[in-house]
Amino acid sequence: MNVPRTLSNVGHISRREFSVRVRTRGFLIGTLLLIVGVAAIALLPVILSYIDRSETQRVAVHVAAPDLTVDPVVTIAAILNPIGGSGGTDDGAEEFTVEHVADLETARGAVVAGTYVALLDITRGADGDLDFTLYSNRTSGQLVALAQQAASSVAISDRLGRLGIDPAGQAGLFEPVAFGVAWADDENLDPIDDESATVGQDILAFGMTVLIFMIILLYGNWIAMSVVEEKQSRVMEVVLNAATPFELLTGKVFGVGAVALTQYGAIVVTGVAALLLQGTIANALLGDAAAGGLPPGLDIGLLVAFGIYGLLGFLIYAVLYAAAGSLVSRQEDVNSVVMPMNLISTLGYLVAVYSSIGLIDPRATWVGILAQVPFLSPFMMLGRITAGLATPLEVALSILLLVLAILGALWVASRIYAAGVLLYGQRPGIRAILRLVRSGT
Amino acid sequence: MVLSIDGLRKRFGDVQALDGVNMRVRPGEVFGFLGANGAGKTTTMRIVLGFLRADEGSVTWLDRPADVWPRRTWGYMPEERGLYLRMPVIDQLVYFASLYGVPRSKARKDALRWLTRFRIGDYADRKAESLSKGNQQKVQYIATVLHDPDVLLMDEPFSGLDPVNVALLKSAFLEMRERGKTVVFSTHQLDQAEELCDSVAIIDQGRIVTAGPTRDVKRSTGHQVVRVATSNDGDIGWLRAVPNITVTRAGRDYAEVLLDAGADPQLVLRAALASGGEVLRFEVADPSLEDVFVERVGALEQDESTLATATELQS
Repeated sequence: MNVPRTLSNVGHISRREFSVRVRTRGFLIGTLLLIVGVAAIALLPVILSYIDRSETQRVAVHVAAPDLTVDPVVTIAAILNPIGGSGGTDDGAEEFTVEHVADLETARGAVVAGTYVALLDITRGADGDLDFTLYSNRTSGQLVALAQQAASSVAISDRLGRLGIDPAGQAGLFEPVAFGVAWADDENLDPIDDESATVGQDILAFGMTVLIFMIILLYGNWIAMSVVEEKQSRVMEVVLNAATPFELLTGKVFGVGAVALTQYGAIVVTGVAALLLQGTIANALLGDAAAGGLPPGLDIGLLVAFGIYGLLGFLIYAVLYAAAGSLVSRQEDVNSVVMPMNLISTLGYLVAVYSSIGLIDPRATWVGILAQVPFLSPFMMLGRITAGLATPLEVALSILLLVLAILGALWVASRIYAAGVLLYGQRPGIRAILRLVRSGT
Repeated sequence: MVLSIDGLRKRFGDVQALDGVNMRVRPGEVFGFLGANGAGKTTTMRIVLGFLRADEGSVTWLDRPADVWPRRTWGYMPEERGLYLRMPVIDQLVYFASLYGVPRSKARKDALRWLTRFRIGDYADRKAESLSKGNQQKVQYIATVLHDPDVLLMDEPFSGLDPVNVALLKSAFLEMRERGKTVVFSTHQLDQAEELCDSVAIIDQGRIVTAGPTRDVKRSTGHQVVRVATSNDGDIGWLRAVPNITVTRAGRDYAEVLLDAGADPQLVLRAALASGGEVLRFEVADPSLEDVFVERVGALEQDESTLATATELQS
């Protein structure tokens, strides 16, 4: 083999494959929609709170109890707008500004007119306790519940003040207590307060496995179709005089792989960038730092593993999809010939899904062995890594096996391809295919 | 110092596609490869080009095995034409040439020159699918020669072309010969082979029936042909009486007869003079390639079905 020529031809071929695909309007629009969609999902919390922000609502407080020791406005505002809690923005609750009003009747009129959503009137009752009346256009709902909670808080502070406990002492009363949680099983080494991180990581690994599965199915079938297209348009023999079947095969796989990498790379980069910039964007839009940053558990290690298994998984399937495509001469026949690859990848995907939802015990030895099988490991290893079931040695072994299997698949595929591309008419049976692999053309 | 094809054998399942093919093509000649569909022309070409491996036999060019020569040595135009239909003409020509190692800028310049010469320069940026069949064939020919190959192998290059494009292609062939290139083409249009070829080979059922310089092949049967016309239009009763001849054409304008080996053409002339009419035409010639073909192989069926089925795998 003439190495420089092979490299240069693989370059020419993959470049053509890449540019004819990327230039189509369907690809451009599809990718753009995906990117916008991913950015929108990643920025959803910021977007929601931005939409909420325009609905900031004003609550009026009228105090007819001059001896009140606490400032009800501060207390009420704190209850209506919890900081960093889930009640603030995530579930769509409104944000409130709370202000004093001097005249009760004017303020009631303002509530009717919509300037204020509610007016809380605080008076000193005959028994010495505070009485609260909420004037609003809606007499039930979340605002009423929150107002009642705020009223209780104000009343308790007031009662404590009347009992002679000053505000500094009150703070001590509400100090949180020491409270711990521990695994009943001593052998359980999972981190205790990191629950959300491991769950997040499992979900991420699952999502990445789905992505790998989609990439393999989508682009694998695409490769098979494009091989058949070249046969059907009879351009195959023209390029076959210029380039070897091996060059054509690898060029096609790399070219389409580069398309996949571009599309999914754009998605992943957009998603990660959007998550990282969430805080900054929230700051710019809302003037306060909303919860941002990467989802818990997304670390470089997981991203690298995703990249490696995604790439190697794509390669091993892609060369076989190309070989399969070379065996038929009409696009209608592609489906039947790529069936084995579709089945095997679906099998690996399903085992991964079942063991991640607990239908199959992921600790079983046979699952561990399946996870090393090159055609299945791209789907199974990510989940096992995040679940802590795969030792670094197992990860390294599976990658090594995968690389060796890719080389083997490339050898087999280019032999099938060399003979298959000249084959028109009837589809060869399995025995004929084996004979092709053994003897070459 | 030739393209030498020795003892090629190739079997596809139960079909013995090639059964000992031997050919010599001298550098710088136009060589016609004649045979019916399924005779083995395409398979032979595919083996020469290295797409298929022969079960036995060898192919050498200038005394070195064919497969050690760089790919740009060979130009190939398959019988079934193929272009990337949704790719602009100029882009795919540059792409094909770049696979042979031609720099992109040179390929683009040469391709535009060829397109202009074939009067389709305006279509350079159009997608191939928007071109007519004839124009697609011209693009196909450019794709075959753009990398300036030394040996051109073309499978039925004239099939499906209108007379104008046939003439264009013929002149391109002759130009290749003038530049010292070797052109091998298969055809079943024997009149074209006769017009263009320095040498021919006739293949039948995987075996070369006869081969050599066109004139030698035509004389190889030992027969001669006589064309004769008398003033008694179409009345050829007198001709039937002449011994050792076969009437192959009995037209109202002239009659054509094939003489048995060793028969004297002058006997025909004497019979014509004796027939009482005036002899308007008398011509002694070699048989046409078609005559040779019919005698050696039998009638050439004009079946246009694809040759590629010959390589179908028996599963």
